[in-house]
Amino acid sequence: MLRVDHAGEYGANRIYAGQMAVLGRSQTGQLIQEMWDQEKKHLAKFNEILAENRVRPTLLLPLWNVAGFLLGAGTALLGKEGAMACTVAVEESISEHYNSQIRALMEEDPDRYVELLKLIKEFRDDEMEHHDTGLEHDAESLPGYKVLKGAIQLGCTAAIFVSQRL
Amino acid sequence: MAALLRGLRVGRALRGFGSGEPRLATCPQCNGLRRGFHCAALRLQEDKDKSIPVPPSSAASSTTTYHEHYQAHPSKNNTATHMQEAPAPEAGAKEAPQPNTSYADQSGEQGEEYETEEQLQAHILNAALDFVQLHGWTLEAISAGAETLGLSAASSGMFQNGAGDLVLHFIAQCNAQLTEQMAEQHNQVQLGQAEPKKTAEFLRDAVETRLRMLTPYMDNWPQAMSILLLPHNIPDSLKHLSTLVDDIWYYAGDRSTDLNWYTKRAALTGIYNTTELVMIQDSSEDFQDTWNFLENRIQDIVNMAGAAKQAASTGEAVAQGLLGAAVTLKNLTGINQRR
Repeated sequence: MLRVDHAGEYGANRIYAGQMAVLGRSQTGQLIQEMWDQEKKHLAKFNEILAENRVRPTLLLPLWNVAGFLLGAGTALLGKEGAMACTVAVEESISEHYNSQIRALMEEDPDRYVELLKLIKEFRDDEMEHHDTGLEHDAESLPGYKVLKGAIQLGCTAAIFVSQRL
Repeated sequence: MAALLRGLRVGRALRGFGSGEPRLATCPQCNGLRRGFHCAALRLQEDKDKSIPVPPSSAASSTTTYHEHYQAHPSKNNTATHMQEAPAPEAGAKEAPQPNTSYADQSGEQGEEYETEEQLQAHILNAALDFVQLHGWTLEAISAGAETLGLSAASSGMFQNGAGDLVLHFIAQCNAQLTEQMAEQHNQVQLGQAEPKKTAEFLRDAVETRLRMLTPYMDNWPQAMSILLLPHNIPDSLKHLSTLVDDIWYYAGDRSTDLNWYTKRAALTGIYNTTELVMIQDSSEDFQDTWNFLENRIQDIVNMAGAAKQAASTGEAVAQGLLGAAVTLKNLTGINQRR
């Protein structure tokens, strides 16, 4: 479970890196940089947790490295709306994933996982914020928004599935 | 009376189950057979005039929980995931073969009073280790061990996997010992009572300590290794090996969360296996050749890691150089000025 979260944050990091690489010097650069910094913080926190609990990181990290960067850069090439649409799609997937984890933890033993629950809730709120920011910045005005969003979310689901096992 | 005893025993087996002993993942029918032998072994014990308190209510409730347990095998997977999230290191699971003293206190430990089936098996296997030099890693050794505990030689039938059980038990024990030592060292360093060792030195010491535990059984160790390579033993032996390597790296201070996690463990696994093989045919004084081999292999790894780092920084420097050249070119040709 922690492995998937770690992989997710790692991937998100790389996506923003890709977006920055293309849009870094434009007006949205500032915005993307902010969101990226928050993701970096999330990743650092998960690195800590992984090490503490001696969880194995996913073997597919190099894959997520490249795939995330390409996704970020690719959508950024579609312009600001593309980057925002990608953000919206990914953040929505991640928020959903965190929500289901919160549900699972609450079902099992809320007292034991108090710290973890607090952390995941905080991260989920941050991700929702990113999602809303993306929407505010005209994500939906991208032609083919629905298609792109669907495709990205499908990819995210697949990534989560695989990272849980590998 | 026997049924009541059986209920009590398996009830306590369930409670002593704790954090996921891999041995109990056998089918209920096999366990029925084992319990048959177990009871035969116990009847021998009864003759020794031990009084075992049998609270009827707990026996009744424990039989039902026993049934629940065997119908709910997937619950073991949940405990496995709990293990990942809980801060307890995985080494904790390896401590399972050792006696569960909290229950021993309840009924009074009088020499050979065994609370659970696993404890009984662990005691027999421990005793059997003394006979390995004589009989090799076989069921004969287990039978001989059982006899020293006053049980009948037929109680070796409790072990479905025969010699495999003995070897796996031995490795688990060695790994647990090593982990204890490393944890102890770790504590001392944290308390400031000892200096932290450099990684290469720590790895060498850890592997050497672990391999020295094999020296009393060195004559028969090739037999043990071939037993571990049998197809039905491979999952267990791989699991022990990977936990061992993970523990060693953890106490060596590795906290990596990227692909290095895999490369480091792969490297150490390679070192450990090759050193073990060298040790088997080593005839030098106190295995000095083996330790030299180990030292050289670890040095290789350290050199490779250093070389990798150097290559990375060289690569970075080259990339920056190229970028600089490109920008200069752009300036020279005036492309940059179109902004």
